[in-house]
Amino acid sequence: MRRLAMILALCALPLPALAHKVIASVFPSGDSIEGEIGFSNGDMAVGQTVTVYGPDGAELGTTETDDDGFFVFTPAQPVAHTFRADLGAGHVADVTMSAEDVAKILGQEPIVTETPEDRTPAAPVSMSDQQRAIMAEIVRDEMRPLRREIAAYREKNDLQSILGGMGYIAGLFGLGFYLAARRKLKDAA
Amino acid sequence: MHIVDGALSNPVVIGGAVLAAGGVAMGLRALTLERIPAAGVLSASFFVASLIHVPIGPSSVHLILNGLAGLVLGWAAFPALFVGLLLQAVFFGFGGLTVLGVNAVNIALPAVLTGLLFGPMIRRGSPLSAALWAGIGGAFAIVGTTAMVAGSLALSGEEFIAAAHLVFVAHIPVMAIEGFLTAFAVLLARRVKPELFTTFAEVRT
Repeated sequence: MRRLAMILALCALPLPALAHKVIASVFPSGDSIEGEIGFSNGDMAVGQTVTVYGPDGAELGTTETDDDGFFVFTPAQPVAHTFRADLGAGHVADVTMSAEDVAKILGQEPIVTETPEDRTPAAPVSMSDQQRAIMAEIVRDEMRPLRREIAAYREKNDLQSILGGMGYIAGLFGLGFYLAARRKLKDAA
Repeated sequence: MHIVDGALSNPVVIGGAVLAAGGVAMGLRALTLERIPAAGVLSASFFVASLIHVPIGPSSVHLILNGLAGLVLGWAAFPALFVGLLLQAVFFGFGGLTVLGVNAVNIALPAVLTGLLFGPMIRRGSPLSAALWAGIGGAFAIVGTTAMVAGSLALSGEEFIAAAHLVFVAHIPVMAIEGFLTAFAVLLARRVKPELFTTFAEVRT
């Protein structure tokens, strides 16, 4: 009883979610890059320092996640941005946004070795820039929970994969059994 | 328990891979015909047990069952647990392929140690005392694994004490549950199928 109480008391300590996968994603958000970092069980990384690296490994800056695990970074150069955060205990978040996407945010041509595709964004004339910004904002807010749902769904271990894994195990050990038995029969002969 | 790709420095990853290869080779030599079915069953139970997350408080934990594997299989626990880890990395992205070696050593070495230390205790004496030792062994294997995980993080530059404390505290419930489970599993095996432990002892060279 006392042991159980102790266990429960210890579990009540705010612990990071160990033994979970880290989920990190970035997406364009107006004139900056927005991203989120969290664990596959839905816990988000709060107050986590995120370091931003360029394609050559040079540090471009740092940012910090807010209470919902979101971070915002305003890019200065149209190159690929890699966001890395060390959540401790062997959990590392690492996510990259390609040069094209960053360039799109900045409204410049990307600096990449391969030839970028010709992009002519068809801007509807009937809408002012401000209206479009508001629209984009609304769409982003609507998308956020969906993105999270999809990320969580991707992490779900479904029964099929578990059964598949068990099938593999059975097959592997069956093969081992067969080989060992064959060797034994050879020795006996 | 599963360290992910990119969290460790290269020397640690390479060292882990070399150690794991050695452990698997040792284990395959110990994997006799009589042991293969047990190894398969324990490999499968490890594979499934570490996918089932039990929510406790704000966090959730998963079982590892490496103590039981070590007690039943001895060195043969290495390939059994390695196979489980490999499939988890491939199917679910649990851990990763580059750190497979480190993870295998972190989980299987304590298992083998548990087998060597507590194996003799559970093979003799009454089933009840065997179960008691098995319970201690099951918890001991988790302690060993947390220490190994913290150690591999420390070798890659994280603070050992902080990392060890974090991993250890998070796994106290796991230790308790694994201890109980291992104890009951051994109790059942000693009552129903005592030859599970004795055959292997005779086969052991």
